[in-house]
Amino acid sequence: MLASLNWLKEYVEITDTPEVLADKLTRAGTPVEVITYLGEGLNGVVTGKVAEIEHHPDADKLWVCSIDVGTGELLQILTGAQNVTKGVIVPVAVVGSQLPSGMKLKKAKMRGLDSYGMLCSASELGLDAKLLLPEQREGILILAEDTPIGVDIKEVLGLDDVVYDFDLTANRGDCFNMIGLAREVAAVTGANLKMPSMEVKEAANGDANSMAKVEIKATDLCSRFAVRVLKNIKIKESPIWMQRRLRACGVRPISNVVDVTNYVMLELGQPMHPYDYDKVADHKLIVRRAENAEKLVTLDEQERTLNDSMIVIADAMHAVGLGGVMGGLETEVIGTTVNVMLEAATFDGVSIRRTSRVLGLRSEASSRFERGVDTVLTWNALNRAANLLENMEACETVPGIVDAYPVPYVPAVVRVQPEAINSRIGIAITKEEMVATLEKLQFCVREDGAELIVTAPTWRPDVTCDADISEEICRIHGLDNIESHLPCLNVTKGGQNIIDDVQDMIKDYMVAVGMNEVINYSFIHPSAFDKIGLDADDARRRVIDIMNPITDDFKVMRTTLVPGMLANVAYNVARQNTKVATFEVGRVYFADELPLRGFPTEKPMLCMALCGKRNELNWNEGREDVDFYDVKGIVEGLLNNLQMQDWKFVTGTAPYLHPGKSCMIEYNAVTIGCFGEAHPAVQNAYGLPQAAYLFELEIEPLVAAVTHVPQYTHLPKFPGTSRDIAVVVPTEIAMSELVEVIKANAGELLQTAKVFDVYTGKQVAEGCKSMAFNLTFQASDRTLTDDEIDLVIKKVVSVVGETFKAKLRE
Amino acid sequence: MNLPKDHPARDMQDSFYITEEYLLRTHTSPVQARTMQSKGGNEPVRMIAPGRVYRRDYDATHSPMFHQVEGLVIDKGISLADLKGTLELFLKEMFGSNVKVRLRPSFFPFTEPSAEVDISCVICGGKGCRVCKNSGWLEILGSGMVHPNVLTMSGYDPQQVSGFAFGMGVERIAMLKYGIDDLRLFFENDLRFIRQFK
Repeated sequence: MLASLNWLKEYVEITDTPEVLADKLTRAGTPVEVITYLGEGLNGVVTGKVAEIEHHPDADKLWVCSIDVGTGELLQILTGAQNVTKGVIVPVAVVGSQLPSGMKLKKAKMRGLDSYGMLCSASELGLDAKLLLPEQREGILILAEDTPIGVDIKEVLGLDDVVYDFDLTANRGDCFNMIGLAREVAAVTGANLKMPSMEVKEAANGDANSMAKVEIKATDLCSRFAVRVLKNIKIKESPIWMQRRLRACGVRPISNVVDVTNYVMLELGQPMHPYDYDKVADHKLIVRRAENAEKLVTLDEQERTLNDSMIVIADAMHAVGLGGVMGGLETEVIGTTVNVMLEAATFDGVSIRRTSRVLGLRSEASSRFERGVDTVLTWNALNRAANLLENMEACETVPGIVDAYPVPYVPAVVRVQPEAINSRIGIAITKEEMVATLEKLQFCVREDGAELIVTAPTWRPDVTCDADISEEICRIHGLDNIESHLPCLNVTKGGQNIIDDVQDMIKDYMVAVGMNEVINYSFIHPSAFDKIGLDADDARRRVIDIMNPITDDFKVMRTTLVPGMLANVAYNVARQNTKVATFEVGRVYFADELPLRGFPTEKPMLCMALCGKRNELNWNEGREDVDFYDVKGIVEGLLNNLQMQDWKFVTGTAPYLHPGKSCMIEYNAVTIGCFGEAHPAVQNAYGLPQAAYLFELEIEPLVAAVTHVPQYTHLPKFPGTSRDIAVVVPTEIAMSELVEVIKANAGELLQTAKVFDVYTGKQVAEGCKSMAFNLTFQASDRTLTDDEIDLVIKKVVSVVGETFKAKLRE
Repeated sequence: MNLPKDHPARDMQDSFYITEEYLLRTHTSPVQARTMQSKGGNEPVRMIAPGRVYRRDYDATHSPMFHQVEGLVIDKGISLADLKGTLELFLKEMFGSNVKVRLRPSFFPFTEPSAEVDISCVICGGKGCRVCKNSGWLEILGSGMVHPNVLTMSGYDPQQVSGFAFGMGVERIAMLKYGIDDLRLFFENDLRFIRQFK
């Protein structure tokens, strides 16, 4: 909302500087976002009359003017504009004056003749073309005939003004007008509020209630509809002072009747609309819902297709306006209009908002209805408008107001305990001070013992409970004046969800091993599932769609972190990051039912990627690329770090992993993750120049594991012993399978079983590999003998031989 | 959270909808209601809740996804002065003890009174610059006293207990603290960016 300070001063005395007042208002909840000094940079330009004008002797397009600027001496000024005629009054930039563009006027010579200044166009004066009449936008700005000569142009055009742009909150519809803002100024400065005159002469013959009728059919969408009838309208330009104020507040002056409706809307906050009385069938206006597909041509000459959620104003025949949004073209007040029906109504804000959204039609009126308009003060607007038009001698008002107001508004009455307000805010102000503050804001206050009975003004429907009253008190008291305090609380135990503990442990570990944490959007492009090679019936393709995505890249909720992680790798590889080591802890989203009928299942996941060099370039470290075992090491390290017990690596793969260089992680007989090299097709799909390694893990199954507390076992008192065996097995047998069988058959004495060599080649049969294990044995009560261990080894070798068709390698 | 069905905050314009009934939250404040409900009307409640939030906006200063931290205290005798003290303490810890803090009356449906909290501009120190639009102040978080309707709906008696709540944008605070000028950097995951924060 734009507000001219000069205009505000009509209702309330302002002694503060614009900055100080803006700060006071901002701190009281009416925030001034921008302060604009109109006419900034415009100095010394005055009004002047064209006393004489003739063609330049040597230039067809130039004119030589003699200008009277009231100094008693005529100035010779040349102009190239073609709209200047003898006798008009124009803005004159005399020598030494300054224009907003920064230009300083000097004497100039044009085709041999001296020019002592310049005649100015609107744009040279810094006026916004949108706010001018079309004829004022081109050429020199021609001023009104009765403009005095030799006066500062800033005064004439209202450029000696300061305009505030308020960024008002949604609950303060009452401040969307000059009076509402003046009331706030009065409350924060202590000055008195003066209301404008609303006296109406009602000099015309007749009775409005017999000349016009109104009816509200859609009572849910319109709570009040009132009309005044104005006779013998004389359409002309509105007075300069009114045009100045409208322009300062960003509204383009058009003609007196339209300008007055806009002026009253800006002044009192009540949107208004004038109808040509003689074009309204039966002189009756009906408020109803539009019919579906009903058509209406609005004032902007657009044909609109309506639906039954919209409010129309209709006469007996058809719609003549879109209630609260825009009038119809047919009943527009134009130069030939003789009589006018002037409407002031209250429409439902929700319906207005939807209508203006659907039609792409936001207006000053619709934005006020959206925030709420004071139903009770409708008559004030009609009276003020009639008063202004009467004073301009532009109409005669017919006595009476035609009013439909089926359910009168009852303002809220709130019972307040001053003590409760003080304790809610943490201040100690007296009951009397509270009463004074509320009365300044025009609340009606009655004392009842220790309590206050407060009636909110009709323009404050947002005030309904004592908390609302406490806000009024504290915002005027000043939040700065509240002494800060830390809450005095009993000590209680804090903490966070265990799942967050686990996630923190994971993040700490990953960062500690040199990984970088990333955060990707929760939504992805569905084509990502093709890129990572998911089957057509993969559960991860059953995605939750977003109804209104911004772009296709953010179209569905992710069901896997893998595409985001691969995109990060591709992004960084393309930017010369030679070592990419990233991880994300985030959620994936699965619908139990589609379309969604309940909250989706959100699964927290870990995903990690490695690609490029193992080490940064360094003299004492290798230059190799990362490989499968780097990922495997991180996976094992993480699981151990989380105190996980009994997890297993088992053979298997994921669609996006290389089938021969990947592995699944099993815990409690359930697969909880996988890792390995990215599938060559996936590597291609993401345009990666080299292999990338991925690791994906579900986090929820880890929660139970992290609570494990390791228990101490006594250190051995007797020496242990170790044996190496090498077996030749078919290549497809996994090391983990062998270890499992060895452990199951070596008895209690076996402590560890580790692979220390894997060999394929000449000495080993085709399709086989040799694996060498180191087995350590230990007993807690004795030193082991060779015989004892030989027996165990023999058993192990025989079972391994049977199970895997393995041979002991001699 | 005291937002009626027809509230403008529910417009399709600003939120990502999944169905007519489900949407991606635009702020973390619903955690307040869920926390209070899970406490079954018992005080004290003292919680902090970080999380992802989603809005239909995408440019250098708006991201369709970002993070907020929600805070809530419910107990007997909690006042706006307590809120002010708590936030001042937090902001001075975050931005240094010289930072000035200003509470400005505002409007949120779920708090009453409501206050926007500004800090003196961390770039110019309050003298006025491009970042603070010459005002000397930067809006940093929203806060207020929990609305009695919210307390009632969540099983508390507003005559017996009161509370304060606040919500802040994590990326916004990070941008101001570390001098980051493009919000999108947080989600591009460029290692040259990430490695600057160790």
